Amino acid sequence: MSQITRALFISRKDVESYYGKPPLITWGLMFPAVLMLALYVKNPATYLIVAPGIVGMTMLFGNTSMAAIVITWEKRSGTLQRLLLAPVTARTIVLGKAASAAAYGAATSLVLTLGLVLVLKMPMVRPDCFAAGVVLGAGTFALLGLTVAVRVREVFEAMTLLNFFRFPLLFISGVFMPLRDLPVWARPIAMVSPLTHVVELLRFGVTGQCWFPAPWIPALIVLAMLLVGWLIAGAAFRRYANQ
Amino acid sequence: MSAENVIEVRGLVRRYGDLTAVDKVDFTVSRGEIFAYLGPNGAGKTTTINILSGLLRRDAGEVSVCGFDIEREPVAVKQRIGVVPEESNLYPELTCRRNLEFTGQLYGLGRTERRKRAEELLETFDLSDKAGARFGALSRGLKRRLTVAAALVHSPSVVFLDEPTAGLDVLSARALRELIRTINRNGATVFLTTHNLAEAEDLSDRVLILVKGRVVTEGTTADINKQVTKVGIVSVVFSGEVTKEALRGACPAVLSADGAGDKWQLQVSRTHQAVAQIISFAEGKGLEVMEIDTDPVSLEEAFLTILEGNSSKTKGRR
Repeated sequence: MSQITRALFISRKDVESYYGKPPLITWGLMFPAVLMLALYVKNPATYLIVAPGIVGMTMLFGNTSMAAIVITWEKRSGTLQRLLLAPVTARTIVLGKAASAAAYGAATSLVLTLGLVLVLKMPMVRPDCFAAGVVLGAGTFALLGLTVAVRVREVFEAMTLLNFFRFPLLFISGVFMPLRDLPVWARPIAMVSPLTHVVELLRFGVTGQCWFPAPWIPALIVLAMLLVGWLIAGAAFRRYANQ
Repeated sequence: MSAENVIEVRGLVRRYGDLTAVDKVDFTVSRGEIFAYLGPNGAGKTTTINILSGLLRRDAGEVSVCGFDIEREPVAVKQRIGVVPEESNLYPELTCRRNLEFTGQLYGLGRTERRKRAEELLETFDLSDKAGARFGALSRGLKRRLTVAAALVHSPSVVFLDEPTAGLDVLSARALRELIRTINRNGATVFLTTHNLAEAEDLSDRVLILVKGRVVTEGTTADINKQVTKVGIVSVVFSGEVTKEALRGACPAVLSADGAGDKWQLQVSRTHQAVAQIISFAEGKGLEVMEIDTDPVSLEEAFLTILEGNSSKTKGRR
């Protein structure tokens, strides 16, 4: 049986144990839905500018948080040790854990998007690009959460550490304003943020327009970030396993 | 690696900063035996199990498990071993059956095989009626049993048990010891750490005693008892009265003597030597030895004596 199959089993078990629980799904949806509604009520004409950013932000906070909570919980309960004792590699564990967190993030984002489309009549010009943004973003952010969580003992430590990344990313990644409106000096910084590329893909899906000449550019960049994130998270797990 | 040895450890060293938790440890474990790894708290027992099962890196030495180096081929080793950690650590939110099936998935068993194996283990460990219960809802004893069962899902060649009966009531501990014998009878080599010396004596074929990361002795229980020099008790009845001074003067192996007249209880160093000296003393006095009884040294006494010896050597070095 291949390592990928075993990663899928880990993933399925996590969905069964943690992510499939209704309270968690509701929690993941409530905050962005209320925020979006507030922005819509304030100005129905401009909410579309921020809608893709809010979906991206939902994934960033939801996926990093859930991945971090699950890992710190499993470290404390000793169940992570079971995986480290099994004949699976550190990268397989990371793949399984990230896939389940990403599935959770993608599912909540898609439900949120469906609500926006049906209730607020949000357009969807390129659903394929939007879906790519959701899947790649969910995976990348889950890996960020795993990498941070494996280094700490407590959930609050993971959240504190993650907030060092998450809040600055919100301001430089075109979440609340398109990249073209960012100051020139901030644009190179925006390019190293995975959230920038995810939001641009989502924006292209919704409006058919993005800051890049073509949507495959941010897609390729975030895919590269996803792969590098997987390798980094695998190395972090290996280091933790051998401590 | 010898075909008969499933574990070979040579010059194993593991340090935590300035502390050397495992210091040049050597031992081998033969196929099919129950090997007890004994030592006081902080001796390095769990560190050794963690290195052998791939949870920790070693700083020096060679470790071969089932013919593979754990650091070079961890997946190959992990596929062949089962580990029962000190704390039962299955998934509390999953049922007993699902926990076993998930473990089967991790070890690459096909669907039919893992379902069959889960049912077999639930039956063997007398947990069939708890198959649908969540692991988190089980008692400590049942949790321990299911944790041992989970380590056997893939029929491993070697099973590591870290303090398997710690915290269990007498009945649960006895049931678990019987299961350990069954696991061994079914062909698995058992590597056991325990604080319970009676348990080690009862279960194991060979014992290794580790103190402060160093091997102080290794062998069968009988071998270890032979190495103990201070703790034999001899009860003797002579055909006439003797004095303590005469007895101790004639028998250098007698360390202390309690009693009076013809009945004495003696604390001796080497038991066989002491018995020979007592008989020779009686002959010299023209007496007969009416009764003589020696208490065998238990592993616990041997262990304590070795610990005392090790502690005084350490003090001597200081």
